[in-house]
Order: sequence, then structure tokens, then C-alpha cells
Amino acid sequence: MSAPGSIESLRHRIAIQERLSPSRRPVLSLGEMNMAFADGGLSTGALHEIVPARSGDLAAGIGFATCLLASIAGLRPGFTLWVLPMDRKFRDGTPCPNGLTALGLDPARLIRVEARKGTDILWALEEGLAHPALSAVIGVLPGRDRSYDFTASRRLAMRAARQGVTALILRDKTHPAMSTAAETRWSVAAMPGVPAQHAGPVGTPRWRLELTKCRKGTPGKWEVEWDHETLSFRFPAPLADRTPAWAHGSYNSRWAKAS
Amino acid sequence: MALITTSESGQHITALNTAAHHMGFRPGMTLADARAIHPALQTAHADPAGDDRALIGLALWCQSYSPFTRSDPPDGISLDITGCAHLFGGEAGMMEKMSRRLSGFGLSARLAIAPTIGAAWGLARHAPDPCHISHQQELHADLAPLPVAALRLSPETCQALEKLGLKRAGDLMDKPRAPLAARFGPRLLRRLDTAMGHEEESFIPLGPPVSHVAECRFAEPVITRKGIEIAVERLTHDLADMLEKAGKGARRLELRLFRIDGWFETLPLATSTATRDPRHLCHLLCERLDRIEQRAGFGFEAARLSAVLIEDKPAQQEDMDGPMHGSGRDDIAPLLDRLVSRFGPDHVTRPLPCPSHIPERAFRFVSVLEKIGTPDWPAHARIVQDGADFARPLLLFAPPEPITAIAEAPDSPPARFEWRREPHRVTRAEGPERIAPEWWRVHEGASRTTRDYYRVEDEAGHRFWLFRDGLYDRAGDAPRWFIHGIFA
Repeated sequence: MSAPGSIESLRHRIAIQERLSPSRRPVLSLGEMNMAFADGGLSTGALHEIVPARSGDLAAGIGFATCLLASIAGLRPGFTLWVLPMDRKFRDGTPCPNGLTALGLDPARLIRVEARKGTDILWALEEGLAHPALSAVIGVLPGRDRSYDFTASRRLAMRAARQGVTALILRDKTHPAMSTAAETRWSVAAMPGVPAQHAGPVGTPRWRLELTKCRKGTPGKWEVEWDHETLSFRFPAPLADRTPAWAHGSYNSRWAKAS
Repeated sequence: MALITTSESGQHITALNTAAHHMGFRPGMTLADARAIHPALQTAHADPAGDDRALIGLALWCQSYSPFTRSDPPDGISLDITGCAHLFGGEAGMMEKMSRRLSGFGLSARLAIAPTIGAAWGLARHAPDPCHISHQQELHADLAPLPVAALRLSPETCQALEKLGLKRAGDLMDKPRAPLAARFGPRLLRRLDTAMGHEEESFIPLGPPVSHVAECRFAEPVITRKGIEIAVERLTHDLADMLEKAGKGARRLELRLFRIDGWFETLPLATSTATRDPRHLCHLLCERLDRIEQRAGFGFEAARLSAVLIEDKPAQQEDMDGPMHGSGRDDIAPLLDRLVSRFGPDHVTRPLPCPSHIPERAFRFVSVLEKIGTPDWPAHARIVQDGADFARPLLLFAPPEPITAIAEAPDSPPARFEWRREPHRVTRAEGPERIAPEWWRVHEGASRTTRDYYRVEDEAGHRFWLFRDGLYDRAGDAPRWFIHGIFA
């Protein structure tokens, strides 16, 4: 038996033992970021966590999640279930349908559930994951809530694998559960946009993504822009350092040494 | 013991118990008079609204005897028992059972069965015996000796009649009708005719009659959740069969469990599409039995599941391998129903575009139980945002939050602003997008000033949607800054 074939059969056996669906689910292509994943893309039918890097990055986290949801809806058409805590409506604001449209997610296929407690949110997510007509579910966890732990995440992951519905969890950085059964964990931070010709001076959404956990792959860091027309991430080349060489401290010190 | 009410003319007794009645107290006495007779009289305040509620509750409990019941405030309940009595061993048997049950609740009830509503009303209140059955032939003889008050007349009319020496209902029956009508109006004669059955009277029961009802009675009171679940399962199957035959599906259902001590518990249920899937309905109901189980008390004796609102639902060929997995709205109906039954219809919602340029009015979240079709959001965005892609934020604050902002020139975007005690320095700004108020809206609270919206970005890369409420060069405007949303 050749080496790639045996790896494939081993993966198959692991999948069965982990009670995950042995049939391969389609993977989501994330452009350059695909390099990080052994499967060649972000797996659907799995649990992914998104963590805003700073306290003000919630909108960036939700934006990144919306982009993933829009892409997943392209692979697997269906409704998206959006579960959020009721009491944070005034603090965080409500998802604005026109803002979702701008990122590529069709609000006509959105179902919003407002729940009071973390356990209710997890219940709604599990219900949604059991339903094959859904495309994905996303849950925004309340800040100080301990109901989401390893067991809860494991339940979500298994249910996601069974029906192929993708689960996204948006949680705070301060959330106590660091060890969960999630497939990946993303840290998202907003970045100043680059003014483009077709957009105004504020530019398109731009984030610094950090894949801090990846069960089947290697963590990494990227700076991305979202292209809502093609539903794909762009990887703008970092700006060339055009500062004159003599302005750098190292050059100065070398100059000083030489002289 | 007496119940009292306080009015402008002082405190009066409205109701008494038997002991107080024997001591000579009467309803209508002032409390001072009563205290003069017996200083130790115990009193409590009357609660007419509570009485009404309890009466309606009891009337609904009586639905275990007949589907058509109503409360007759202040002190009565009427049942239309046409075609029901034989289920309880005839009229006498039914009355005996009811009387025993009611006295078991600690109520002293007077019952009467008569061919007309008026006659039953009068006999129940004024017949010499507490349980009276009157048939068509005996109606005249039974009613004649009753006081005129038994004809459902106002106290003033009764007094006027008594002054004329017309004390018994029989006195009125033999009198010429024209002078009575001239003196007391047509109402008196109508009451007399309806009581005697010469004129029709319609019976308006509590709640609309429902056509699809499944019922079951238990041999022994049911206390456990398991027992209730088995009953619910049977009821949903019966109801589903009924709906299937009629080609209907239920949108709203009501499960009612009758407790052995005269109370009942109601569990309303709404579904997002017409359904008659017994398994689905059973699941939805059983999920919410917690509250009912806690209040089982001595147990439930009967259960009824009624389809309150039904819609046409043509019969469907079930797929051979079970239901098909498509992505239509009907497929997610079971999920929506489960979510609605747990979180309430107002907390499971879908966005609906609204024709307004004011950002917070441009959309609305409506319950999934409402049918809204598939709205065209891209078209809505084209109209409302004038084609701009990122003109609306991802997260919108409702209401907008006030901020303190410093702008370089009065009508330029802010250079710095402070929101939630955190300073932000604006590095890039875009705008303004001017949104004029909807002057045709006259209600209170509608914004009356023009807003200038700016998209700004701070040093950290966070993008905000700020607006200045009011214009500097317009008289009467006092411009203030607000944050309305955050961009991704």
C-alpha cells in the first residue's frame, strides 16, 4: 500500500472512531489561508470559534463570521440560524440586515433567535445543527457565561459533523473555556483599511486574522480584505517600506561605526 | 365574615357568609351599621375582578361537561347541554355529578336544567330546591310561583312591579301585554318570552367553538409527566387523523388539562406553518409540560386538545424513504416551531425590509410565524443606500448613542470623539450622507432634524458610523453627535 493511501485509510479510521461523519464534507476555500489546513480548506460540518482580539473588535469578529457564513451559504444553500443573547442587544447593537447584505450574506435566509441564557443559546444551536435544511448556525455567547465548556463544544461538534451544518461560535477573549472541541479558533482584529479607487477613503473591511488553534493543520497569521463581489478573501501585499535607508536606526549605527 | 366595598358613600357590605346572614346582616348595609350590631364582624375587601376571573375559570372547567359554557356575572355559569346529558347518565345523573363535584370544591351551588336560558337562570336562583329540572310541559307551572326577579329584570323594574302588587312571575304571564310594554318597555316582555320559550335567545359561549377537538378522560387522576405525555400522544394522533380527513392543518392549538379539583391548565401552541404531523405536535407539547407537571396537584382527570386556528393543507404523498430533504421553507417549519415554543414567537424572527431612508426604520424583525415570503434585500439596499456597498454598518445601535465629538469646522466630520468614556482619534472620514427626516410622520418621538452621516475610521482600524443631528446654519437646530453603528 502506498503512503498517501494508508494515510487516507488512517484518517478514515480516526474519523469513525471520533464518531464524525466518515464521508468527506466540502471544504471552504480561503485563498492563501488554505495552506494551513490539511484538507485544503476550512472544513464545513464542524465547529469553529471566533474570538475578537480586543474589546472593540466585536464588529470585526462578527464581520469575519458573516463572511464565512456567506461563503458557506454558497457551498450549501439554506437558512442561517443566528442566536444571540437578548441582554447584549443594547450594548453590542443588533445585526443590521443591510450591513449583512454588504458582506454578501442574504438576510432573506436569516433566522434570528434571541435567548436569555447561555444554556438556551447552546440548546438553540444544537437544534439548528440537527436540521439538514440549514446552511450554518452562529451563536454569540454572553460574556460571563460558563455553560459553554468542553462538553458543550463536543456536543456541538458532533452534531455539526452528523448533518454537515457548520457551527460558528463567537466568544469573548476573557471566556474561561480555553480547551474546547472546536476545529479551529480565530482571533480577529480590525485594521485600518486601504483607500481604494472604487471605495471611499475609509475603504473595504480589513482584518488581521490569527489562526490560534487548528486541529488539522498549522496555526498562522494573515492580513485579509473581504471581497464581497466574489465572496473571497484578498491578501493585499504589505506596503513596501519606502523609507530611505538612512532613516533607519540600524543604518545610522552602522554609519557611525564605519566613520 | 363579610366582604365590603368602599365607595363614595362609605363602606358597604357586598357579600356575607351563612353565619353572618343568620345574625341579621344583609348585603347593602353600611359597615358602621353592621359594626353596631356586632362589633366583632370580620371583614375583607371584595375583589370583583378576581371574582370574574374565578367565575370564568369555573365556566371553563365546566367545559368537561359541555363544549359550550359561559360565565354569567356576578354569580352564575350557563352550560348548553344539548346532546351532552346522556354521557353522564341523563339530566338527573349529570346534575347529581356536577353538584357533588362542586360541593367537593367547597362551593354551595344551585343547579337547574330548563328548556330555555331564561328559565334555567331563574330556577337556579329562585327555585325552592337547590337542584331543579324543568321540562317544556312543566315550564309554566315551575316559573309562575317564582318572584319577578327570576325573569332577569333590573332591580328598579322589580321594585316598580312589586309596588303594583305584581310579585310573582305568574302574575305577569296572565296580564294583557300592551299596558306592560307601555309602562316598562319592551325589555320586560322580551325577558318573559325568552324564559317561556316563545322567543329565541342565542347562547354565546366563552371563546369561539372549535371544530377539531380531541378529548380523553382518565380512569384515575394522572399526576406524572409520563402519564400526561401518553395522553398528549394519543390526543395528537386523534387530532391529526381528524385534520387529515378534513384536509386541514393546525396553526394554533390549545391543550387543556382539567384538574380534579376544578382548576385547569392551558398550554397554547402556535406553529409556523399548518401542520398535522402527530409526532411533531406531540414533541412540541411535551417539551413544555414542565409548568403543567408542577401544578398537577391531585392529578388531572381529563385532557382536551383543540385546533383553534386551522388552515387548508391538502393531503401529501409521503416520500417512500421518509420526508425529503430540500431547502424550502416547509422543511425548516419543525425547527422554527421548536424554537418558537421555547423562546416565544417574538424572539424567533426574520428581517423584513421597510420602505424608509431612516436607517433604524429601514428594516424590522418580524416573527417567523408571520408569512413574509422572500424579500429582495439587494434591491432594497440599492434603493435605500443609493447603490453604495458599505453605506450601512454591520451592527446598529437602537437608539443611537450620544457621543462627544470635536470637529475642525462646524460642518466637517469629527476629528476626535469620545464614546463610552473611550477617546477615539479619527484618521479617515467619509461623508456626509444626508438623511432628511420623514416630515409626514407626525407621531411623537419621530426625528425632526436632518442627519449628516459620516463613516469614520480610528487609529486602531475600527470603523464607526457617526451622525450629526441637526444643521449648524439652520435656525432652531442644536446639532448633537451620535454613534449609530459599527462597521465590520
